Amino acid sequence: MPAALKTDLLTKIYTMGRVQVVALCDITLIIEKGAFVGVTGSSGSGKSTLLNLLGGLDTPTSGNIEARGKVISRMNKDELALYRRHHVGMIFQSFNLIPSFTALENVALPLFFAGVAKRERKRRALELLEKVGLAPRKDHRPAELSGGEQQRVAIARALINKPDVLLADEPTGNLDSRTSEEIVGLLADLNRWQVLTVVMVSHEERLLKKFSSHLVHLQDGKIIGRKRAT
Amino acid sequence: MRLSDYFEQSFSNLWKRKLRSFLTTFGVVIGIGALVAMISFGKGIQKNVSESFKQLELFNYLMVFTDSAWMRLGDPDSRRPEAQDEGSKAVLDDGVIEKIKGIKGVEAVFADIRFPASVKINQKEAFVLIQVLPAELAKSKLMKLRSGKPYIQDDVWSLIISDSLLKRLEVKELSSALGEEIEISTLAFDFSRINPMNLSSLFRAETLPFSRESYAFKIEGIAERMGFGGPTPLRSDIFIPPGVAKDLKKLPFSNVWDLFRSPENQQGHTLANVRVSHPKYIEPLKEAVREMGLQTFAFIDQLEEFKTGFLVMDMVLAVVGMIALCVASLGIVNTMVMSILERYAEIGIMKAVGASNRDVSKIFFFESSVIGLLGGLFGLALGWVVSILINQVINYFLSKQGVPFIQYFSFPWWLCIGAVAFSISGSGAET
Repeated sequence: MPAALKTDLLTKIYTMGRVQVVALCDITLIIEKGAFVGVTGSSGSGKSTLLNLLGGLDTPTSGNIEARGKVISRMNKDELALYRRHHVGMIFQSFNLIPSFTALENVALPLFFAGVAKRERKRRALELLEKVGLAPRKDHRPAELSGGEQQRVAIARALINKPDVLLADEPTGNLDSRTSEEIVGLLADLNRWQVLTVVMVSHEERLLKKFSSHLVHLQDGKIIGRKRAT
Repeated sequence: MRLSDYFEQSFSNLWKRKLRSFLTTFGVVIGIGALVAMISFGKGIQKNVSESFKQLELFNYLMVFTDSAWMRLGDPDSRRPEAQDEGSKAVLDDGVIEKIKGIKGVEAVFADIRFPASVKINQKEAFVLIQVLPAELAKSKLMKLRSGKPYIQDDVWSLIISDSLLKRLEVKELSSALGEEIEISTLAFDFSRINPMNLSSLFRAETLPFSRESYAFKIEGIAERMGFGGPTPLRSDIFIPPGVAKDLKKLPFSNVWDLFRSPENQQGHTLANVRVSHPKYIEPLKEAVREMGLQTFAFIDQLEEFKTGFLVMDMVLAVVGMIALCVASLGIVNTMVMSILERYAEIGIMKAVGASNRDVSKIFFFESSVIGLLGGLFGLALGWVVSILINQVINYFLSKQGVPFIQYFSFPWWLCIGAVAFSISGSGAET
């Protein structure tokens, strides 16, 4: 399988005043296309930092990230914006929906920046809302939706630009266990049937073990364990 | 992202914060309104003055006067020392006037003759200075007639009277005065009143050797009073032709100052107006006249001075308007800063789903531009409405003094477009 994402000695150091915090240290990782990689570790282990670097939201202190044959760690801000727009979908623990937008508008948001016509935006957003089972709630605002529904909206939004990789940062952190399982199940389905590479950060090892194909364990910014699911 | 999307997005964002958007826009409306009203006032005054200069063909006129008259026209203390020696001998008599008539481009020359008189119509009397004006000039554009027609010959007992004087004489229906008879009384020396037996009373100025002479004139035309009392060769409320003026018994001076003039000058006139066929002849004419030892004053130079004055006025008005606009701009900045702070998370989300920094700043740019656009448009409308109101009020008060209706505000197309463009660009630049 070709690699969807590759990191090479990836290091991220945050400087806070005089103190330097090493968030990630020499991470070398190959994420195969179509893989479902679970990243776990205690809080402060660097999971979210890794995900932000993979998603082009942050730039590494040293080391490289390669996606689709391109070194994204060397891209400028505009190129990174395009990378995020076309190749990556992201979902977050706190859903990060725009409160004043309806579900449909939230899903359509990435297309807005991609310059897609209004009618087409609506059509595609509705199609994805149907896929995540929320078509009847398209005109509701995030506050009128349950946590699970909000995360489904967020997933639909992450998928609308047909990304290669879906990055999920603690997507179940704000959900109860039953809904958590539903959401991760949805991600696993997408991974299986749409050949979508998924990288999911979670401290719920149980869920990751159940759904992911690969498991990476981080501690203090270093990989302390890799496993391939059976 | 499409342009229409940006507009739609910014409208919907502003709509979500209605009160704040309204107040901010209202600030811009007031700022632009003030600026527009100020500038349009400056431009309106300017337009009126230059148009009246043009209408009256004042650029074709040159005033010629003697040095001693210069002293009288200006501040007596500020007379130029060198003028005293060479200039004071020059006389502006009929011979000189004939000479000026011969200069290239000169169409007409007429001495500025004005004398005190009393006018009487319907038992109402007023005291005025009557000006002698050749028929040729009464027919020219210099004379703006409200009704009637100018006299066509120099030897008819007709006159032109201003509408404001008629009003002073309590003539209700102005046009009804046309063709009416009007009585003009002048003062003249009456040597028969000098009683050789009682010269002492004459010396003590108890009795003066003057008598009153009355003449009947026909009102031929009614002149319109100039809206702008700018300089003009016409400086009277009554004009009579020179042919009959000669026959009037009158004092040879209109002003006590005239008596101070040097004896050589006394036969001459104080002032003459020269009309040329084209403004290009003014400069050479000035040269030629100055060589004769006379002083000149060209209206075309006056306009240049006016223009400098207008520029200063425009600047002052614009600065006042700009202050209002600056305050409004701070309002926009405040609103945008608040908006950015409030939407920090939103900006982060937009960037996560692929918005570039440029996309994000464009959203805010469009929002403030929309405020600017609305503020500019409504501000222009506000400035326009306010200027109409002010114009009505000014004209209401001035009409009582016989001043015709004047448009004090002018809205040239560049001001309208400029105000809106300025508002948009100013608001846009703040983000």
